Amino acid sequence: MRRHRGDRIIVAMTLGLLLAGLIIIYAIGPMRANFLNAMYGGNISENHFFVRQLINVILSIAAFIVAYKIPYEKVKKFGKWVFALGIVLSIGLLVLAKMGSSLAKCELGACRWINIGSFGSLQPAEFLKFGLLIYLAQLISSRKAEGTLNKSDFWLPAGVASIVALALVIVIQKDLGTGVVIIAIILATIFAGGVEIKKFVLVLALILVGGVGVIVTSPHRMERVKTFLNGDDADSYHIENAMIAIGTGGLTGVGVGNSVQATGYLPESINDSVFAVMGETFGFIGLGTVVVVFMILLTRILRVAELGADDEQKLIATGVFAWIAVQMAVNVMAMTGLVPLTGITLPLLSYGGTSMMFVTIALGLTYQLSCYTKREKDLNQKKFSNSHLRVGRLKAENIAQRRTAGRTRK
Amino acid sequence: MNERLKFLKIALYVIVAVILVRLFQIQIIQKGEWVAKAEAQHTLENTIKAKRGQIYMMDGSEAVAVVMNEQVYTVIVDPMTAKEEEIKDAIFNDDLKDNLTTEFDKVFEDKARRYFIVAKNVSRKNAKKIQEKNPTGVWLQERTKRVYPEGPLAARLLGFVNEDGEGQYGVEGSLNEELSGKDGMLKTVADVNNVALSIGKDNVKIPAVDGKNVVLTIDRNIQAKAEEIVKDAMEETGKDHASALVMNPRNGEIMAMVDLPGYDPADYGNVSDASVYVNGVVNDPYEPASVCKAFTFAAGIEEGVMSADTTYYNQDTIYIDGWPISNASKNGDAVRTMQYALNWSLNVGSIQVLKWLGGDENNINEKGRKILYDYYVNKFGLGRETGIELFEAEGLINDPVEGYGRDSLYANMTFGQNMLVTMIQVASGYSAMVNGGEYYTPTVVRGYMENGKLIEKEKAGPVRRAISEETSEEMREMLYGTRDTGWYGEDPDGYRIGGKTGSAQVIRDGAYVMDESVATYVGFGGATGELPEYLVMVRIWKDGELGDAMKEAEPMFSEISDYLIDYLKIKPGD
Repeated sequence: MRRHRGDRIIVAMTLGLLLAGLIIIYAIGPMRANFLNAMYGGNISENHFFVRQLINVILSIAAFIVAYKIPYEKVKKFGKWVFALGIVLSIGLLVLAKMGSSLAKCELGACRWINIGSFGSLQPAEFLKFGLLIYLAQLISSRKAEGTLNKSDFWLPAGVASIVALALVIVIQKDLGTGVVIIAIILATIFAGGVEIKKFVLVLALILVGGVGVIVTSPHRMERVKTFLNGDDADSYHIENAMIAIGTGGLTGVGVGNSVQATGYLPESINDSVFAVMGETFGFIGLGTVVVVFMILLTRILRVAELGADDEQKLIATGVFAWIAVQMAVNVMAMTGLVPLTGITLPLLSYGGTSMMFVTIALGLTYQLSCYTKREKDLNQKKFSNSHLRVGRLKAENIAQRRTAGRTRK
Repeated sequence: MNERLKFLKIALYVIVAVILVRLFQIQIIQKGEWVAKAEAQHTLENTIKAKRGQIYMMDGSEAVAVVMNEQVYTVIVDPMTAKEEEIKDAIFNDDLKDNLTTEFDKVFEDKARRYFIVAKNVSRKNAKKIQEKNPTGVWLQERTKRVYPEGPLAARLLGFVNEDGEGQYGVEGSLNEELSGKDGMLKTVADVNNVALSIGKDNVKIPAVDGKNVVLTIDRNIQAKAEEIVKDAMEETGKDHASALVMNPRNGEIMAMVDLPGYDPADYGNVSDASVYVNGVVNDPYEPASVCKAFTFAAGIEEGVMSADTTYYNQDTIYIDGWPISNASKNGDAVRTMQYALNWSLNVGSIQVLKWLGGDENNINEKGRKILYDYYVNKFGLGRETGIELFEAEGLINDPVEGYGRDSLYANMTFGQNMLVTMIQVASGYSAMVNGGEYYTPTVVRGYMENGKLIEKEKAGPVRRAISEETSEEMREMLYGTRDTGWYGEDPDGYRIGGKTGSAQVIRDGAYVMDESVATYVGFGGATGELPEYLVMVRIWKDGELGDAMKEAEPMFSEISDYLIDYLKIKPGD
């Protein structure tokens, strides 16, 4: 397929969300700094968070461009290795943590980051997520081509890779948020890839059983579910204050810099809870816009999946769609009290480097894929061809033949 | 594949729809609820403390503060943010040695405890020193403490202020509202650490209304002298309780109110018995005994049934309702004048007045009882609250009609037994009896200090006429005569001093006991030919000991009386 102009809406929506995130961090960064200083006696400057976020955004845009520029054919070859790197880093992290090395960054008994000095920290789970996405897309499309999609040739390697990734992320790193996103990627790709519905339902059931098992065997998660249902403790305080922030915003919000919830009442105000602070600041109009922008971005990604040049590209776009959709939905629904807290960031808006950068890499790649999509017209014509209007089809073919006369194609 | 992708698209639309509906619900429909929750959480209400008023006494014509305020500070450390070196330097030093409530090593033991009190009652000077060093994680909390430049003077009259800043007992208790004023309020939006934010548009500030500086009618010098005299008397007689009340019979103003033993209001917690907080002068009803004969005699004169010269046949013992009633001093059966009966405090004499009040020579009847009740309660204000600005007890005067054995009960009441009254009631009644017959509500409040100036309260006039001027004059004369009988001292020339003793039997477990009595003396004085300028009531006792009014109470009166003539610069009359 020939390269054409990419879907600029993807770029516009991505930049729009990044900008909105910057504005909100600019507004509440000083409050966050002030709160942390008062709590822990630090000396964080007012602009600290904004400057850091500005750097994150610039780096993320650079990552977007790089992912867009690196030819997809090369990315394909990296796929497996990114996944392998994720596994190596995860095991390395586990070893470092066991050794008690300061290179392993742990919070509340969960070791999720590897310190890389002044560059910040790496989150192996992000490599696993991204790597697994590409690996699954390749595996599904190649097995599909071979016609062994519903055979053990597919299920065995796909199952092993998925279980390894989930075990490392959920059980070892205790990162349920990223785990949920990985599950979404797995489910979306195998579903869209065309596995038998019976088998898909079986996978779904297995994941549910596994999920219940993980929750029941871990007192910390059981607690989270209980507090969500009963409404007490730190999580319900978090949700309650997120909803107070969103609720006080009303229709138009209290305006930039007037958030009170961000002065320390709302935990994680610049990270996981940034959606709630945006609700307080910009109101229903602001949040509605953010949600609609996400929806537009996601439908455009889905469009890349629909019009993708081949199954592999379609599946990559599907995986990116599932990733961003679920991460957004789980975060927003937790902030509005619809689902329990999982500790997940809002893509492109939350403060933070690694996760933002991986999202923009995924989007950059999707943008690149959007340059190779078939035209919607072609797609419609195919549909058209199935209809009773044979004449039209023939006519179109004739036109195509005529147009391509004298040229060698394919 | 595209069919399945369409399914994902629908899923996306459903989720987005759910989110938008939920946002609409929270932000538009439930907005009010969440705003209310936010306000409850964000609003910081700081009380602006009203300054408690000071208490003044008179020093001649000047008002002087006897209860003042001092700012002291509590020092609090946040071990999480505080720095060990700074804390050691700024707080754990010699200046604060006496104020520290903990040891340095303990401060940083538990850093999660963000609020740790390390010193209390730090003076303003030392607090300022800490502020200048400005250590991290330290804050000072201001508190007002009462200070007493006169020490324990008039402690039971003044009361004290507890740790919560509430006045307890005495003037501090009864005038708590006036003294404490009204706290103001500062309502602001605050961050999670309760630091006020400039965001709030609805910040409210209501300034505090400071408490009034109350000026008492009490004269510091008379109070101090009376306390000294009472204390000396207690030492001399070995009694453990004594009270004195000095008032101006012409207007009801109290010049001194002594009730010992007292306590140190600055260290009010350090007492072995909480009863020392109670001001017995106004709050301890007792049977004042024979001092009440004067009330009975005044009723007799006013009702026209007797005068000082009227005679009756005195017997040492008579029987009423079958109970024997005897005179304390046995003078033998004989015809006596009423002046003689008062002089020698003959119970039978005062019972005779009750009989006459009923219009009967030989028997007590209901009419007599009703008249006596009217004089005691309605005219002289016994057995009911006087209305003084202090917590006071009502006491008890039994009904003249209802109940068993009224005759013997009222016979006993003619000489001040079988009834419970407070010293303030007796002294106020006596004032009315000797001042020309008008009853004044006793008062301890003279006015208020405003900007260093004494603003006098409007003087209340007499509330009623108790007896006629003529009766009052005759009672003065009778009481002058009574004081001169059986007393071997001599009052200074140019002054007339009158008075009456009372040795009261005490009821214990519902029956009078023979081994204990309270000694009382009520007297008054002034220049010859003038209305009395002062009235003094004293009492003294010890549980389980007999008292003697003439030997124990009267000397206190005489000393105070002499002092008053001198201190009040009363010019002698002719």
